[in-house]
Amino acid sequence: MTEPGPAHQGPAHQGPAQPGPGQPGSWPSGPGGLPVRPGGTPYGEAGAARRLSPRVLLIDPIRMLPTLLLPLAGVLVAGGFSPASFGWAALGVGGSVVYAVVRWSTFTYRVSGDRLELTRALISRSVRTIPLERVRGIDITTPPLHRLLRLAVLKLDTGAGGGEQEGELDALTVEDAESLRAVLLARRPVTPRHRTEDSAAPEGTALGAPARDGVALDGAAGDSAVRDGAARDGAVPARGAATGRTSGHHDERIIGRVPRSWLRYGPLSGAYLLTPFALIAGAVGLAFQVGGELRVDARTARVAFTWVEGHPALLVAGVVLLILAMPVVGGIMYAVFNWDFTLRTRDGYLVAERGLVTRRTVSLERRRIRGYELVDGLIERRFKVVRLWAVVTGLGDSETRGQLLPVTPRTYAVDVASDAIGPFAIPLRPHPSQARRRRLFRAVTPWLVVAAAMFLLGWEVAASAALVLALLGIPLGLDRYRSLGHAYDGTRLSVRNGSLRRGQAVVERRAVVGWTLRQTVFQRMSGVLTVVAGVGAGTGGYSAIDTGETQGVEFAAEVTPDWIGPFLAPPTR
Amino acid sequence: MSRRAIALWLVESLIGFAIFFGGALLLAFWIGRSDWAVLPGWLSDHAWLLPLVVGVVMAPLVIIEPLWRYAVHRWELSGDVVYARSGWLSREWVFVPVSRIQTVDKAQGWFERALRLATVEIRTASHAGSSTIKGLDYDVAAGFAEELARRAQELRDDAT
Repeated sequence: MTEPGPAHQGPAHQGPAQPGPGQPGSWPSGPGGLPVRPGGTPYGEAGAARRLSPRVLLIDPIRMLPTLLLPLAGVLVAGGFSPASFGWAALGVGGSVVYAVVRWSTFTYRVSGDRLELTRALISRSVRTIPLERVRGIDITTPPLHRLLRLAVLKLDTGAGGGEQEGELDALTVEDAESLRAVLLARRPVTPRHRTEDSAAPEGTALGAPARDGVALDGAAGDSAVRDGAARDGAVPARGAATGRTSGHHDERIIGRVPRSWLRYGPLSGAYLLTPFALIAGAVGLAFQVGGELRVDARTARVAFTWVEGHPALLVAGVVLLILAMPVVGGIMYAVFNWDFTLRTRDGYLVAERGLVTRRTVSLERRRIRGYELVDGLIERRFKVVRLWAVVTGLGDSETRGQLLPVTPRTYAVDVASDAIGPFAIPLRPHPSQARRRRLFRAVTPWLVVAAAMFLLGWEVAASAALVLALLGIPLGLDRYRSLGHAYDGTRLSVRNGSLRRGQAVVERRAVVGWTLRQTVFQRMSGVLTVVAGVGAGTGGYSAIDTGETQGVEFAAEVTPDWIGPFLAPPTR
Repeated sequence: MSRRAIALWLVESLIGFAIFFGGALLLAFWIGRSDWAVLPGWLSDHAWLLPLVVGVVMAPLVIIEPLWRYAVHRWELSGDVVYARSGWLSREWVFVPVSRIQTVDKAQGWFERALRLATVEIRTASHAGSSTIKGLDYDVAAGFAEELARRAQELRDDAT
């Protein structure tokens, strides 16, 4: 939303801004033009416009350094170490500093009523308005440099999809970020009545929020969702009183804190295992880039390669080292990212905090959480550990944002999930034996076909490799079958599938928006079908694969009897 | 479904057949011409069999598929739940309660316009809970979409 204002408007606004750092409140915009004492509570119904922390100016030039480096090097190479080239270099650095200062001084944010306004007046004036109603999650990160200066980056997840639509405040002081979060999230205790009126207001007035059909309905969802959330919140403290602690005026409670000793489970998940390769690739890329500058061409590279080829022992040692480094480096990366993982509830939000170097805090609105997903790989299952994700409606980047627990023992993760979201304790119903046959067939046959084709073409080595894979398909298929299952406990349904990455989804009944039953020719011959519960959250659909024909229909009918009941005759026939 | 839907599916399966048959012809031509050593001799010598087999196998399906689809495809709105059945070799049943519908679209492609048919697309917050009903008579589709939109407005109770 850009309103191309008159050209003189920019300078006119910058004039009073000159008092600069230390007096962030002197912004002459409307009712919010009141000076603000640092440390006061600046956000009211019509809060004052505020600037980002001036300390970010120390970071900006450092961040710009890489982009400046090449031109600077170019200038030095072209002009030698003459005063002129130093002058140019100084100009470049000075220019970037001035740019950073101007950008900082022309960017303001403020909370006004029920919306957050981000104003940019660098060249054209643009105001992005984010209705607080739309804020689905808040993500506070502190990268290393920011941490040094006690700054934090605050990101708003508005569910609009796409980075452009999301608000980012880079950077606030940690205290400001915390208090802004408190303000943004404190809008929650709204009575259902009020909320419905809110959502009845035309969405089109909200700048920056595209008017979608779904958006209007999102608001309406609040009515029932809030009631449910309140009921759940009421139930939770009773449970948590023993395990958690309540702090201060916030309704805050720690649900889970992952002990450091559990970081050793990290490599089991296979996460970051490829980091050494990524590092190598990055190094090679960098070498080529720098090499281009230093006039290292393909010929030199070829010479290097032939030299390496001449020393096979070195090559083998390198590869072995790389493979040995995989779990170690992977484990370290995992530990760095998941250090002191803490999950707590705070005012109707689930807040997950993690990280050693970059401390990341993600707040998920509880009333948008529809369920959770427990994921474990082949090795993880052996050690009885799982990872936990929340199934949230309209959450962008849910792989990182939705994570509720890193690799933790299963019993612990299940406890946390039932405390944070809701329990699901009944066992899953197994699928019929035809499903086992089909899993086996699908795991083995493709490789058998490949093996046969390779034999026909006379490639014995490839054929034997395919044969080995076919043999490995037997345990894989059996395991896939063992994973299959579905159940419904009255409020939540659960489906599970997968082997190398097994996932069990637990989703609330009210999140189901429809059912799809599928049956391929082969499934029909085996008398099984796949039931997909359409859910407006997470991956969109959770399927129970290869349920028995009546079993599958009964599952859908059990969860939503009034939807399936009238049609029970046609699909079973 | 309208009876004219059979014509629509016939056109579509003809196009599919043409693409497949043409692809097989091209492949056979390419295999026959190339003397790629990895391929055994018997394969490149009898490459002309490929389009023949494809043609013989698929030609009857061009006729069978539309008729079969006509026999399978059904839709119904009752008890404020949309039920749609589709497919021919594989089947798909979709149940979408009207209360969870977010948008109802009515679309018409070229052939559909020529045949006075329309497609009703029912969208919910999830792709797995969304349904596309093809081959409806235009007037029926218009009325159906209208009614769905009206009911969806009345029943809107959505937790997503």
